[in-house]
Amino acid sequence: MSREGLTRRDVLKLAGVGGAVAAVLSGCGPMAKYVRRRPYVEQPEYALPGKSVYFATTCRECPAGCGLVVRTVEGRAIKVEGNPNHPLNRGSTCARAQAALQGLYNPDRARGPKVRGGKAITWEEGIDAVARALQDTPPEGIVFLLGLAPDHLAELVYEITQALGAPPPIRFGALAMVEARQTLAAAAEAVFGQKAVPTFDIAKADLVISFGANFLETWLSPVAYAKAYGAMRQGHPGRRGVFVQIEPRMSMTGANADLWLPAKPGTEGLVALALGRLMAEVAGVEAPEPFAQVDPAQVAQAAEVPLEKLEKVARYAVQDVERVVALPGGVVLGYENGVEVAQAILALNGLLERLGKPSLVYFTPPAGGREPLAPATYKELMDLVDRMNAGQVKALFIHGVNPVYEFPKVLGFEEALLKVPLVISFASFDDETVPYAHYHLPDHTFLESWGYQRVQVGADREVLSGFQPVVVPVFDTRATADVLLAAVQKVGGALAEQVPYKNEVEFIQKQVAEFQKRNDGIYQAAHPKVFWALFLQHGGWWTQEATATPAQAQVPTVQVGEAKFDRGELHLVVFPHPILADGASANNPWLQETPDPTTTVMWNTWVEVHPETAAQMGLENDDLVLIDSPYGAIFASVYVYPGIRPDTIAIPMGQGHTALGRWAKNRGANPIDLLGFGVNGAGDAAFGQVRVTVRKMGRRQVLARKENTVGVYGDGRYQPVDKRKEEEEKVTSTQE
Amino acid sequence: MSTAPSQLRKAVVNVVAFAVLGALVLGATWLYASQRVPPQPLEFNHYVHVQQLGLSCLYCHSNAPRGQSAGLPQVNRCIACHNQLEPKSPATRALQKYAENGEAIPWVPVAIQPDFVYFSHAPHVQRGISCQTCHGEVGQSTVAQPIKNQNMGWCLSCHKNMSTPERFVQLSSCEACHK
Amino acid sequence: MAGEEHTKWVMVIDLDRCTGCNACVTACAMENNVAFAGEEENAYGRGMHWIRLVRYWEGEYPEVQMRTMPMMCQQCSNAPCEPVCPVFATLHSEAEELNIQVYNRCIGTRYCANNCPYIARTFNWFDYEWPEPMNYYLNPDVTVRRRGIMEKCTFCIQRIRRAQEEARLEGRPVRDGEVQPACAQACPTDAIVFGNWQDPHSKVRQLAESQRGFKFLEELGTEPKVIYLSSQRHEF
Repeated sequence: MSREGLTRRDVLKLAGVGGAVAAVLSGCGPMAKYVRRRPYVEQPEYALPGKSVYFATTCRECPAGCGLVVRTVEGRAIKVEGNPNHPLNRGSTCARAQAALQGLYNPDRARGPKVRGGKAITWEEGIDAVARALQDTPPEGIVFLLGLAPDHLAELVYEITQALGAPPPIRFGALAMVEARQTLAAAAEAVFGQKAVPTFDIAKADLVISFGANFLETWLSPVAYAKAYGAMRQGHPGRRGVFVQIEPRMSMTGANADLWLPAKPGTEGLVALALGRLMAEVAGVEAPEPFAQVDPAQVAQAAEVPLEKLEKVARYAVQDVERVVALPGGVVLGYENGVEVAQAILALNGLLERLGKPSLVYFTPPAGGREPLAPATYKELMDLVDRMNAGQVKALFIHGVNPVYEFPKVLGFEEALLKVPLVISFASFDDETVPYAHYHLPDHTFLESWGYQRVQVGADREVLSGFQPVVVPVFDTRATADVLLAAVQKVGGALAEQVPYKNEVEFIQKQVAEFQKRNDGIYQAAHPKVFWALFLQHGGWWTQEATATPAQAQVPTVQVGEAKFDRGELHLVVFPHPILADGASANNPWLQETPDPTTTVMWNTWVEVHPETAAQMGLENDDLVLIDSPYGAIFASVYVYPGIRPDTIAIPMGQGHTALGRWAKNRGANPIDLLGFGVNGAGDAAFGQVRVTVRKMGRRQVLARKENTVGVYGDGRYQPVDKRKEEEEKVTSTQE
Repeated sequence: MSTAPSQLRKAVVNVVAFAVLGALVLGATWLYASQRVPPQPLEFNHYVHVQQLGLSCLYCHSNAPRGQSAGLPQVNRCIACHNQLEPKSPATRALQKYAENGEAIPWVPVAIQPDFVYFSHAPHVQRGISCQTCHGEVGQSTVAQPIKNQNMGWCLSCHKNMSTPERFVQLSSCEACHK
Repeated sequence: MAGEEHTKWVMVIDLDRCTGCNACVTACAMENNVAFAGEEENAYGRGMHWIRLVRYWEGEYPEVQMRTMPMMCQQCSNAPCEPVCPVFATLHSEAEELNIQVYNRCIGTRYCANNCPYIARTFNWFDYEWPEPMNYYLNPDVTVRRRGIMEKCTFCIQRIRRAQEEARLEGRPVRDGEVQPACAQACPTDAIVFGNWQDPHSKVRQLAESQRGFKFLEELGTEPKVIYLSSQRHEF
């Protein structure tokens, strides 16, 4: 791209800064809650007062990368809508994307750069600090900890670390942990010969057999999967897809299944093998090796699943329908033998192919042929903590992840952070990690940012999803890529030569320009500026045609051993909240106010207990309990949940913040505190092996639920959060 | 402690009287505030521009045929002519200052509707309704003044007189203006 | 003249597609400036959701099954809320055949909410705040309601009127699928479809003729304009 390429400043000028001038001050009367209109200095051509302007961008509420179109009026973002042409979400969005504007316009956002203790500094001082860190720290002591998004920042940081000779950035997040992404990728390598997270084409399926994958809520690319689910159910006239879910706790996804089988935790891999054996028997062929080793009747007994149901599913899959897919995910992979369990489940696809069924699994081709950096495993994270404790990490840069909140307490990340002489946080909010940072240099939120993201899963073609600012920055924040590049230039020398970009937009334009050569995209342009304009207008680049091809599955030899568990009374399922997911956006009040789909609980943490178990323990709805694991303890109110095994309890993630903002702070509990574990063969966390004890506290604390209001008046009356917190502290102190 | 009934009655009467009085004062203030001519940041003379120079309304309020609001004049539009004129009056000097500083002129809208009323210029202007029909002869006055009684009955009478009975069904429906 | 034929807006909700994900709830709130009431108010049943997912449990463990049903104002043709309003704040729009709520008339008697069999109406018990700068996202096309006012789903009337206005300026009829309420637009499974019943080729008309179609509490004689398509289940 030419040096005259549009700079960030120019394009911002074009893109609605007029609006900023025109924007936005106080309301115009006691009743008026709207923002008052102001005249322009120079009215942009397209910005007619009172007429909407739409900008295409990409959602970053989760790492999937759905396309958005944001409606703006006079420089203010008014509504998030789905990009109808984007190959992932085709115009739809989830609740998190909808509430993203409450993150953008959140009053609790970080308002400018500061040092530890809260003293404000200028951006110059902040950039100086970064430059000093890059210059004075020995390269092996520099660590970048990034979030899960496969975005331009990760690629830029990778280039910087390569130029410095520092280790590549570490990408991690709580979502990757409970989704067992690396486990899935490792198993896919054994079955499909490609080490990546596969996409399951459920839109075409007649039968979906899912083992614990919560693909309608938060799993990998939830809107793309939901879109496919709708098509599976009613998209083909006369051919309604059927869906079987096998998991210990009925997730929202499981609640939509035709058949929900609560197999005993740890037996899911064996159930898959038994199912395979039954399928082979129905087809009248000899069961391949891994399936032959199990006895379906024994497995059914051990898993506490009716054999007859498994037989019916096997018969339906083999005899009645054509297209069948089996997918593993989430909680069933959270054991030390998780890789083997995933292999056993994926091997079902191989078996079905041998029985003459088409493959419904493919891998999303990486945009531009460039595979994004894989997320780190839990094991790599443990190594990082060891290095921090040993004083080998001299400068730690944190972006897009909130380790103090998201990482399990047992990892000891907080203590290790104190041993790092320089911590720089780029968080947009004052989150739990910020107090540990020596410098806090807040990044924009995604609706104010430039960027792109290489879609990794869920799309049937190459997708480079583009971001552009839909409004000018609300506060004095600065793009992290710009801060890093300014620091690189300040350092100068060889580093600046190897990372020669003036600013973030120049870096992005250089990457995007590579796609200009391609002739299979949705648009072509001879001039780089025109191509860039088309890139922004479409919200990214993707190919005209679907290019992913079905992956051929093998049936690997696999030994599914026994899953190991801690001592304790009850199995614990920690699941991403269907609305809040990992809780990074818990300070968006409408996400708190949106009811959980299965329990209808809002604004708090609940613990799901089976009705019989609850009766045995004398527990009722809203009873406060202490949940105790070998690694930690939390309080939560009971929700008597009919869709869970009697030997299991379940708690959603996403709450229990001690910072982040007024709507998230001191609300509910964080079940990640209960986790502590070994690792599986792929280095992922075995988070499913924790067992807990539940103790009744003898008090009630009413959960706000949409379903009814019984119990709100009288006994167990609702108490405001502050008071509840006080009482919890009292209880804790009396226990000690 | 119990209060004697007479005392209680007295207290109630006092409270009610106070509330009524307060409401009257507030209402009068509001009425005054909403009807008076708002002071503008600089004295713009409509008469000179419209009558003497023959500018059309749409030259400055250019958004009326296309958008919801007619738009308040942008500095660049003023300065397009005024940069060729020597600033002699306080108003033109103020204008020059705004232009030099790159600031928007904080015009005060004169014809305003409450928050619960949705109004869009585009359909009205595109139907050939002249600006004067609703705003009066602004061009004859020096300072823009709010039009009295721009209320619901006034809107509806026009909607009724200027449309067919079938169309009036849609134009008189509450949700046409209240959303 | 284009766009001036008789319209009858209906919504079709395919319960077999609906997963109960609540994206519609958030989308509705963001489009219509619905206030968030907070935990305490919600615990007292004073949440302001214009659309909610009604959830039913069926059967006993392990055969238990969850069913959800998006519920909002059904825009009844024979609406129980209308005759009880003493000030005509809730009334029928002849033009759109919708049940509308005129906020500036409402005096907060709450008679309408008591008479609604769908529990679709919500009441502003307090003045709710959008702390600055959160008020920036408020939709200028929708009135921000204040304390003491009843509110409910409007089928995104501001979007209907905007589409009609645009179509009229371009001199053409409103196209099928051009008007999408926020819930239908967000729906990740395309379970919610919105359109004009009078157009025989519209998607809603075709979907509504499905054998799975039913109207909720139709036996009350409310003549709702939301048509549900029942969910199915394969028995193993």
